[in-house]
Amino acid sequence: MIKSTVTQEEVQALAQAAPKKDGRIRTFLKRQYNWNIIGLFITLIVVMVIFSIASPYFMTIKNWLNIGQAISIRGIIAIGMTIVLITGGLDLSIAAVAAVTGMAAASLIKADVSGGSSALLALVLAGGLGAINGAIIVRFRINPIIATLGTLLLFRGLAYVVSAGNNIVIGVNTWSFLGRGFLVGIPVSLIVYLVLLVLAYLFLRYTITGNYIYAIGGNSEACRNSGIKVDRLRFWIYVFVAMLSGIAGLILMSQAGTATPIALSGAELDIIAAVLLGGISLSGGRGSLLGTFLGSLLIGVINNGLILTQVQIYWQMVARGVLLIIAVTLDSFRRGGGYR
Amino acid sequence: MQPILTMQEVSKSFGHVEALKNVSLDIYPGEILGLLGDNGAGKSTLIKIISGVYRADQGKFTYQGDEVHLASPSEAQRIGIATVYQDLSLVDTRPVANNIFLGREPRRWRFLLNRKKMEKDAAEILERLKIRLPSVSVDVEVLSGGQRQAVAIARAIAQGGSVLLLDEPWAALGVEQTHQVRDLMKDLRSHGVAMILITHDLSDILSITDKIAILRHGRLVAFLNSKETSVNEIIGWITGALKASTQEALPA
Repeated sequence: MIKSTVTQEEVQALAQAAPKKDGRIRTFLKRQYNWNIIGLFITLIVVMVIFSIASPYFMTIKNWLNIGQAISIRGIIAIGMTIVLITGGLDLSIAAVAAVTGMAAASLIKADVSGGSSALLALVLAGGLGAINGAIIVRFRINPIIATLGTLLLFRGLAYVVSAGNNIVIGVNTWSFLGRGFLVGIPVSLIVYLVLLVLAYLFLRYTITGNYIYAIGGNSEACRNSGIKVDRLRFWIYVFVAMLSGIAGLILMSQAGTATPIALSGAELDIIAAVLLGGISLSGGRGSLLGTFLGSLLIGVINNGLILTQVQIYWQMVARGVLLIIAVTLDSFRRGGGYR
Repeated sequence: MQPILTMQEVSKSFGHVEALKNVSLDIYPGEILGLLGDNGAGKSTLIKIISGVYRADQGKFTYQGDEVHLASPSEAQRIGIATVYQDLSLVDTRPVANNIFLGREPRRWRFLLNRKKMEKDAAEILERLKIRLPSVSVDVEVLSGGQRQAVAIARAIAQGGSVLLLDEPWAALGVEQTHQVRDLMKDLRSHGVAMILITHDLSDILSITDKIAILRHGRLVAFLNSKETSVNEIIGWITGALKASTQEALPA
């Protein structure tokens, strides 16, 4: 159960050899997870060097804003996925939630409801879908993988039902600002992503609730014994995460000017891949949004670089797969253990 | 001196099975009570009733002289009865300080974690209990079994426990680590903490405990003073070789 490359003697030796000095760096390096961050960072730099040699356009501000915009929608969903994974859960339905949210908002706009009200109502709906996930998992004690596999089908089905499988075109209007607009030269969607990312990061790191999210993922029984309301917190996390996906769904719809029931179909696995690449453990209790951000960014950079260097687009998926396998394998080797 | 915790005629059944029958016990501050008995004798049931996990069907509890009804573990914990669980129930992936204050973290502006104060207080508690750890900011998973057990006990104390329930605290520990935990218990005793110890390990039981309560088939069959008994007598009571009427007939 206890997997660690750092033995107790080493820790004690460290503590005795360096009582106070550079404790922070040592503590940082002692955490398994931080090696993952370092590895990602190095990989990112190597990839950037390669692409900037291969394409003169790669290292331009415009291209980096493109990358930022490209990763923002999935990035927002990845924030939610990270939080769920840290609690030791999983949510396969979040891409479908984004699709339903987009369809609902587009239908409302078509019915002449104002943009703001449509967005708000659609987000409430997204929260409601999250509540369904939470209720199934917490009340009926269903494994999150199975529960959200069920709701993935359910929600995706609903997205088709809304318009009998047709796209809903809303065209370019004031709405488009969210997905296509710029604020002081930066894409609005990227700003939304970065703001949500920073808020979620601060929330996880500095709040009592954020602290409990990690603790629940580490040992939910210990948390229950300590009087933490584990089930209530889990429930609200599924609601919160679905609302994050809702925001992503709205941005996507705004960007495309169209809501489509197949929006982000299959993206849930890509998003999980990005999050795992960022060093979040499937067993919960560890990881941080910094890792998720680097994972998302690395995938975004590779996708972008492969386009710029005119590699056939399907290689992107191959690259993501290879990257994920290499990352988790290195991680497993370093821990000196793995799947048995 | 007034007992910190008393139980009178406590009974508990599961369906047709009577797990506990009219058990009465007193425990005093600064006392280590060994709770012994064979598997299925009712030790766990009794501990779970005291820690608020189960509710007794009958019987009366008083804590520091007041009658109490323990409806849940958190309620028991609130009044000062803390359980150190057999499976340790620490959060391996979290630092020592977070574990010690789990569920009772010092706060800032109600919803923010006051990490600085938490780490400082954790270090103070560890120092007071003479528990030596590399740092309060290392994750629990890098600690040894004995250190982990010590952290679990420190948590119980930090959460205001004046009665500790220890379920097999050294079941998974080596010799050296077992000694560390025993020393810690003796230290706590001198601070006036009452402890109820469940164990199968009879070696040193006489030196670590002050009193020994022995359950058999859900009944309290013997309540012994550790200084006036022997391991053989204890085994006699646990196995049923000794019975209340035949006690004098057998050598102690």
